[in-house]
Amino acid sequence: MREIAFLLNGEPVELCDVPVTRTLLDWLREDRGLTGTKEGCNEGDCGACTVMVSDGSGTRTLNSCILFLPQLHGKAVRTVEGVSGPDGSLHPVQQAMVRHHGSQCGFCTPGFVVSMACAHKNGMHDFDVQLAGNLCRCTGYAPIVRAAEDAASEPVPDWIAEDGTLPAAFATASDGGVSGIAPESADELAALYVAHPDAVLVAGATDVGLAVTKALQEPERFLFLGGIQDLNAIDVGPKAVRIGAMATLSEIGDAIADLHPSLGELIRRFGSVQVRNAATIGGNIANGSPVGDLPPALIALGARLHLRRGNDRRDLPLEDFFLDYGVQDRAPGEFVEAVSFPRQTDRLRCYKLSKRFDQDISAVCGCFSIRVRNGRVNEARVAFGGMAAIPTRARHVENALSGQEWSETAIRAARDAWGQDFTPLTDLRASTAYRLDSARNMLTRAFLDDQGTDTNVLEVAP
Amino acid sequence: MAFDQEKDEFKVVGTRPDRPDGIDKVTGRARFGADATAPGMLHAVIIRSPHAHARIVKIDTSKAEAAHGVKAVVTRADFAEGLDGENWNILENLMAGERALYDGHAVAAIAATSSLAARDAARMLEVEYEVLPHVTDVDKAMQEGAPVIREGAADGSVPAGMHPNVVRCHDSGHGDPEDGFAEADLVIEERFTTEATHQGYIEPHACLGTLGPDGRGELWCCTQGHWNVQKVCAALLDIETSKLRVTASEIGGGFGGKTAVFIEPVALALSRKANRPVKLVMPRADVFRATGPTASTSMDVKIGMKKDGTITGASGEFRCQGGAFPGAPMEFTAMCAFAPYALKHVHQVGYDVMTNRPKQAAYRAPGSPMAAFAVESVIDELCNRLGLDPIDVRLKNASREGTKANFGPSWDRIGLVETLEAAKEHPHFSAPLAEGAGRGISCGFWFNHAGETAVQLALSEDGTVQLSVGTPDIGGSRASMCMMAAEELGIPYEDVRTTIADTATLGYNEISHGSRVTYASGLATIEAARDTVKKLCKRAAAKWGIDAEAVEWRDGCAIPSGPNAGDFDPMPIKEIARDMGKTGGPIVGHFEATPEGAGVSFATHIVDAEVDRETGATTITRYTVVQDAGKAIHPSYVEGQYQGGAAQGIGWALNEEYVYDDDGRLQNAGFLDYRIPVASDLPMIDTVIVEVPNPGHPYGVRGVGETSICPPLAAIANAVSNAAGVRMQDLPMRPSRILEALKAGS
Repeated sequence: MREIAFLLNGEPVELCDVPVTRTLLDWLREDRGLTGTKEGCNEGDCGACTVMVSDGSGTRTLNSCILFLPQLHGKAVRTVEGVSGPDGSLHPVQQAMVRHHGSQCGFCTPGFVVSMACAHKNGMHDFDVQLAGNLCRCTGYAPIVRAAEDAASEPVPDWIAEDGTLPAAFATASDGGVSGIAPESADELAALYVAHPDAVLVAGATDVGLAVTKALQEPERFLFLGGIQDLNAIDVGPKAVRIGAMATLSEIGDAIADLHPSLGELIRRFGSVQVRNAATIGGNIANGSPVGDLPPALIALGARLHLRRGNDRRDLPLEDFFLDYGVQDRAPGEFVEAVSFPRQTDRLRCYKLSKRFDQDISAVCGCFSIRVRNGRVNEARVAFGGMAAIPTRARHVENALSGQEWSETAIRAARDAWGQDFTPLTDLRASTAYRLDSARNMLTRAFLDDQGTDTNVLEVAP
Repeated sequence: MAFDQEKDEFKVVGTRPDRPDGIDKVTGRARFGADATAPGMLHAVIIRSPHAHARIVKIDTSKAEAAHGVKAVVTRADFAEGLDGENWNILENLMAGERALYDGHAVAAIAATSSLAARDAARMLEVEYEVLPHVTDVDKAMQEGAPVIREGAADGSVPAGMHPNVVRCHDSGHGDPEDGFAEADLVIEERFTTEATHQGYIEPHACLGTLGPDGRGELWCCTQGHWNVQKVCAALLDIETSKLRVTASEIGGGFGGKTAVFIEPVALALSRKANRPVKLVMPRADVFRATGPTASTSMDVKIGMKKDGTITGASGEFRCQGGAFPGAPMEFTAMCAFAPYALKHVHQVGYDVMTNRPKQAAYRAPGSPMAAFAVESVIDELCNRLGLDPIDVRLKNASREGTKANFGPSWDRIGLVETLEAAKEHPHFSAPLAEGAGRGISCGFWFNHAGETAVQLALSEDGTVQLSVGTPDIGGSRASMCMMAAEELGIPYEDVRTTIADTATLGYNEISHGSRVTYASGLATIEAARDTVKKLCKRAAAKWGIDAEAVEWRDGCAIPSGPNAGDFDPMPIKEIARDMGKTGGPIVGHFEATPEGAGVSFATHIVDAEVDRETGATTITRYTVVQDAGKAIHPSYVEGQYQGGAAQGIGWALNEEYVYDDDGRLQNAGFLDYRIPVASDLPMIDTVIVEVPNPGHPYGVRGVGETSICPPLAAIANAVSNAAGVRMQDLPMRPSRILEALKAGS
């Protein structure tokens, strides 16, 4: 039996035989009549459909428009209707939104209220970050941010707090779950995927979700990976860092920020809070996007990709995984199990150029790891997104830098190598010339950064 | 209508109460366009042209009609014939006739039992196109040899010899700019361009319509004006206006974009054919491809100035591209351009140019922000080169009461000088600038509008009040209506409930546009309350057995006044209400008029910007809006309009744009690539409310919603240009453009 069980605003829900690609948003609005959750874009960009989802690892916001029902199995979902109490009493963020006149038209308000309530519960006060996934066209955000600040010191209401621990009876009732499409271990996934190599793997659904809701793809079979317990570990060991494929960008950001602060900053600009809470490292790599932001950083760190098919495992340098636009070195039935890179003294510098600071696709993402010994470049690893059909190492630039005095000399020495490494496209995000110019300027920026000039990834932002 | 404005002390007006619908908005209870359902409801999709310009050779609906769950398919043949004028344009836009005129132009629609069934059926609809040459750029569309969008679309205002794509012309001014330029110490002439931007409301267009075989129907939709929707639907479906009842849902943003009609007649046509209710919700991509962006522009502005800052003459040519239909707001662009300045010699010309793009729709002060960008940039450059203070120069030349406007009339009482003086005194203007940062100043102007308005105010038996207005609440206007009614009646704000009435329960109301709501519905509310007060006094007088003229209304009570009125205790509204059934029946005040005293509004903005010289990226570090509100009814919502206009202006200036490829297809039809600002893109925008009362409103209200977007493009461009040391003449100032300009300038 395909049964999906979860808590909705504190009440248990059990669903049988729902289409596996039914989104939470459509189900809430059409089947449950909960129309407080809004559809503004249906592609995870506007945040009007934001819901809170809790499980054993905490409470986070997600975009319900690109969230399939099977992904909710065993979790607690809270919509705007459940942000206020069962007796109708308002949550502190709702009271503050009214008091500070945080709504003009009010359409985006439910999404903001949910994002604010989640930040409130988690004690997060960096509201520009917490609310960057919610678009408001009316207010200019000032009254909303003031409302969030005002509510921050109020206690978390009981009905919100209780989502953190699912009742034991509920956990038992949901045993078994959605069999056949939601493996609970890597072994189970390996067996299922070999048997059904045409299946589409759904991790966070931020990419697949779009493909399905926009009817670009209608695959026969999906495998939902959210319930797999042994693919999301982040192991920071003495020699290496190993990240399970199902680790979310939010989790990686938290775990890596101290080791490689520049990567932490890059992840913080990756999508929005809602997207980072859903998207996984495995998905970001395996979908092979030329503008995925993690691969260039990982390549610069010397990462290896760990793949598994059935019981066969292999690993390869991450840059070798990307073969051509839309083509990766991955056999049918083979999936990403983990990524690893050596523990190393931090030399990583990541720079992301996009039209808007937050929640925007990179025009160019450049990552540099340049090791210097006795004033000369000893080893350079340079990788870019947005400069070619795949994430690409700049090997000519690396060679040109190698052995050079680490100064303007090295930058000059590499000047012509850029054109050998890259012939980027002109598209709506940037022109060929702009991409090449800014990629070169990023090396200058990396050098200045290294010299202690006061510059960081934030300043690179448009 | 002129008002003496003897009232200068307010009890409710000017305070900041919670809005009456605040809780509805924060709990998700408020019902928007897509939140309604009906028994037996069908779901509809619209099929759109993938071509910028194509002849529709054939539409074969047979397979789609036979598909599972499909109940109706409509094409152009299902709408009224023989329309002309703007009704024809609206119909042609919402359902193509012989040709698809832009990427995203609707060609057919399907209603089915589920949205999935409708979507599947849409793929079975067969449309044969013959692709035609297209043009999407305003300057190219005016050149010889450009594809003609529609022969004979031009009206008599267009000078002979122009390309047929130029369909309207505006020409006004006085004096002779050439004489003015001859007197100048410095004359600058430059060309400026702006791209089309979308209003970007977060709520997509949505409606639920029922139209029976008897021609009677109900329609629920998100719109800025439901009487207009009623009128247009009736014409396009050839039914009688009063047989269609239209209810406005809550509206999730409009900014002018929901003044137009795009989908409602389609839903009704499908409903009529299927004889079932039909829900139609636009996907976000369709919102970008087929609903109103603003016009894109190409502009030439020439201004002469003396060394002392006197502007001696000004001229401008403003070419506005409004898509495949007439209607680009070029006359507003031309008229607003030099409005802040009292000029002896001024001449402005506007051209309305058609291209293969979606039909432009109003966007917050349509046409004015672009004009300000061009004019205020040239003034900034003149100030820089002559070493003059940008505010002093603007004060020296400012339009004032009695000076002749660039487009003809003399100004009534206006507040431009007051905004400039307030800007000059604001700490922002004198704050030190960080190294590499630049500061920009700009003025902006908008006319504001009044329009047909009807309001009804009904007393309940407990003395509370039900106010019915006909202007959809797009930004908190229920609160200001409650406040004005409470002020006049002398009762608590909480005792008034404001409802947006449907088309069957109130007289005609023009759209919520032109910054007219707080002005016109507010004026009508005040007058309806005064009408109610008269009736209340009459009831009290009858009880007391005295003349109605001997009764005054004060603090929510009737009181006897005058020498012979007698000595009675004040009679509160609750007492009169309780007895009204016995004293003459229901007490209802009302007001209907087309007021004519909408006060124009000016603003001055101050912006600080930093430019990254390695990437061309811009950060807005500080922003101050100074604007004349006439009288701020609810200051928080006035500030909200100021901040909202500035925020949209920041997006427009730096980032937002319609990007077309060589095939004329829109490349960024989604929030993924059409990037409106998020919280981290914006500073906390500071606001200063200047109050120079409008003589045309009982409390002095001027519209505030639109003027706030007039100065930002120019103010930001001036700040960026001053930071970069290069004059930026094309919007948006995306990083690549700035980097190119920096390279060219160095």
